[in-house]
Amino acid sequence: MRELFRRIYFLLHRRRLTTELENDIAFHREMAARAGHNNFGNTLRMREQAYEAWGWTWLDRLYQDLRYGTRILVRAPGFTLVAGLVLAIGIGVNVSAFSLFNMIALKPLPVRDADRLVRLERRSPDNYTSEMAYPSFVFYRDHARTLSAAIAVMGVPPMQLEDDVAATSASFVTANYFSELGTRAAYGRMFDPSMDAGPNTPPEVVLSYGLWQRRFGSDPNVIGRVIHIGRKPATVVGVTPFAFASLGGQHPDLWMPIAQQPYFIERSTVLADWTNSSVRMWGKLMPGVSAQVAEQELRSLTDQLRKQHPDAVWDHEYIQSSPGGHLEVVQPELYRVVAMVAVLTLLILVVACANVGGLMLARAVTRQHEIGIRIAIGAGRGRIFRQLCTESLVLGALAAMAGLTLASMVVKAVLAKIDAPKWLSAVPDWRVLLFTVGVTLFATLFFGLMPALQIARQRQQKTLARQILVGAQIAGSSVLLIVAALLVRAAEHALYTDPGFGYQQLVTVDPQLGHHGYTPAAARAYLEQMQTRVRAIPGVAAVSLVKFPPLGHITANSSIEIRGRHLMVYPNSVAPDFFRAMAIPLRMGRTFYPGEKHAVILSESFARRQWPGENPLGQAVGDGADKDTVIGVAGDAHINGLSDDDAAEEYWAAQPGDMPEMALVIRSAAEPGPLALDVKTISASLDGSVFPEIRTLKALYLDNVKQIEQIAGVVTLVGLAALTLAAVGLVGLVAFVVTQRTREIAIRMALGARPAAVLSAVLRQFRWPLIIGLIAGTAFAGFGSKLLRVGLYGVSNLDPASYVAALGMLALIASLSMLIPAARTLRLNVASILHHE
Amino acid sequence: MPMKDMPSAFSPAGALPLLILRVLCSESLHGYAIAQRIHVLSRDVLAVEEGLLYPTLQKMLLKGWVEAEWGISETNRKVRFYRLTPKGKVQLEQELASYGRITHAIQEVLRTA
Repeated sequence: MRELFRRIYFLLHRRRLTTELENDIAFHREMAARAGHNNFGNTLRMREQAYEAWGWTWLDRLYQDLRYGTRILVRAPGFTLVAGLVLAIGIGVNVSAFSLFNMIALKPLPVRDADRLVRLERRSPDNYTSEMAYPSFVFYRDHARTLSAAIAVMGVPPMQLEDDVAATSASFVTANYFSELGTRAAYGRMFDPSMDAGPNTPPEVVLSYGLWQRRFGSDPNVIGRVIHIGRKPATVVGVTPFAFASLGGQHPDLWMPIAQQPYFIERSTVLADWTNSSVRMWGKLMPGVSAQVAEQELRSLTDQLRKQHPDAVWDHEYIQSSPGGHLEVVQPELYRVVAMVAVLTLLILVVACANVGGLMLARAVTRQHEIGIRIAIGAGRGRIFRQLCTESLVLGALAAMAGLTLASMVVKAVLAKIDAPKWLSAVPDWRVLLFTVGVTLFATLFFGLMPALQIARQRQQKTLARQILVGAQIAGSSVLLIVAALLVRAAEHALYTDPGFGYQQLVTVDPQLGHHGYTPAAARAYLEQMQTRVRAIPGVAAVSLVKFPPLGHITANSSIEIRGRHLMVYPNSVAPDFFRAMAIPLRMGRTFYPGEKHAVILSESFARRQWPGENPLGQAVGDGADKDTVIGVAGDAHINGLSDDDAAEEYWAAQPGDMPEMALVIRSAAEPGPLALDVKTISASLDGSVFPEIRTLKALYLDNVKQIEQIAGVVTLVGLAALTLAAVGLVGLVAFVVTQRTREIAIRMALGARPAAVLSAVLRQFRWPLIIGLIAGTAFAGFGSKLLRVGLYGVSNLDPASYVAALGMLALIASLSMLIPAARTLRLNVASILHHE
Repeated sequence: MPMKDMPSAFSPAGALPLLILRVLCSESLHGYAIAQRIHVLSRDVLAVEEGLLYPTLQKMLLKGWVEAEWGISETNRKVRFYRLTPKGKVQLEQELASYGRITHAIQEVLRTA
């Protein structure tokens, strides 16, 4: 250790120590001369040997290489700019993607013990739900010894605040929510487990900072004021902090204690209902307890719960924990998306690197002379190789800085666009910086190593390296373009084809009667009156009932497999005239009689897949004793799985018991806009404590489609960037080959070669890389895009039009970017070139 | 302390650090005097190569066995004198011991083989 310090001391005082050493040697020489010896050798060489003893030669060399590398780059500004930009795009795209992933899933929430927070969800081999019944939550909370705390969040439809026109988002949370997260109120106080956990405490509400600013004019005196939520008076006790970090990225404007839920939502029995999945559960692990241990304990608790309440637990149910201390819960499903995005962004990097590698190889020719001289005066291959790698590193570092800037701009834009929580910032943290360094080193290795090896061995005439680089670029670009084309097609398809139901004129009205304690009979009466009065509104064409309304908050599905193909089945309960109201065609058979039992209507493609070439009517569905008969086949209408072509629908007739959970679908003859007000009036007169959620399907549908449009837009942009990069790279490479072979071409032309023969001579070496690259890219896209199916709105992942368009475009651009520089050969002045020889 | 970057102890050049340590043991000397002293004491058998002396001295400085300080030479010139540190003394003991062992071993082989 001491020695290391001394070494560093020597480094820091090298100037003084060098003079001292020189003085020693000069003195020695004087004395030797005096004694008549003149055999003191090469002073410089000796001094260098003495330096080497200090062990800093590598640093000197690095410094030399860096200086030299920088000088070389400055001397070729065109190359530096193009290569730097290309790399910066490659690195920037990757760093952007990683930054977003980091923000979502790696950065810990700025809350107390973020690393111990877990999200707990019910799963079984064929079922999954993100929510659980409140009594189950209480059971787990009271019995789990591996959890130091359990938090429940009940998301509810937006609620009526005073007489505001628009409803306000709201959540009910357990009283320990804020204290477990260590949230400090901006004003007033947050909930306190010792005061707010009981049902009989005075009604209270915490406002979000945003709502407090917008709705209450940032008035600090709002604390203690009584406001009305769903016409129920409640006291404002606090305001959340400005940069509030909440669980699961949920940011409602009104927060109320879950124990007071029955007060705010009158006659609600949801807190005592074992079968109504209503709360999201979070846990905090005991210090030192791993998530696996907690999962094991919860598994045995689930088994106990099954004995007490068989109806509340599925077969083979278990509670799965996912890390919860991040912006989003990191669920296994997330990793599939992450892997897909990672592959696409890495492809960009590959294209960029292959591109710069090509440029470096081309430049090697111009540097042949310089490197030849350096080798001639004694530089070893290793030294030349190291020098070239250092140059690449300098270039990589420049590109990394530009890429990092690009990435933080992207993140900033995203943060602004999604109205992100205020604690998130676009400033890269250490993870992003580390990733940037890693990606840069990887990229440098990829684009710098092969050319450096080739140059150091003085063998840049080899065409194989060039061919590999071209192949890689073409393959990478073709994958990106194909995926972009698929997504564009999907967006177009979603926008311009009929989703199978008439969304333009539909309004859904969800009164959530079950949450208000309605009995089936009362609910039936309410819904019947509502339907009758809505029908009387001028312009209403049809009204019906459905359990899971289209594009609703809640969906139910289960995954089945028919002949090796996965299908997501969405069961639903509907009133007989549902199909007419939704404008879903009945392809075969008939609709239900009211309350009909043991009858099911399937969607068209589901029936076709289940019984190919057979008549589905009269077939039996289901297992066990309760078989249902298929009485009809409806058109495909993925009302709750819009983008998923593998979705299938199963409809049953609504039973009297379903009534408290039914919602209305209303079809108007014209624009459904003004309907909302009429429906509000009707509901107020039916039951003043129920505030149905009224949603216009057209807006929801367009929102949904906008997402895929945006994704398609981003991917297209990235694909085009890759295409541009590939084109630039090809132009450069072909131009280089032309320069390299000018003399040969001139001789051929002098001997009477035809233009086509000349072109083919130049371009022949690129033919196979181009073809192989296209084939490899297509194959990769074909296999990889299976993952995309769920989001393609029914466009096949092997959609020929997309592939032809993408590959055609790529082939065209690639050919052009080869032909244009190659055509230069035809204009060569043969005489003058040969004259030079 | 074994030194990887120096020749092994029983090659003639490998003995240089040991010789330097030994001559510095009694008094501090400048570089030329070290070379001279070794030359004279060995009855002109050992001539210290100058190209080896200074790199070796640098390494010993780095190891902390010797220290350099300014002094005035017999020719009235400012020059650095090298002096043994306590650590250098310990090192000398160790090297002497291992040198003795090795020469003994070599002689043993030469005599009996």
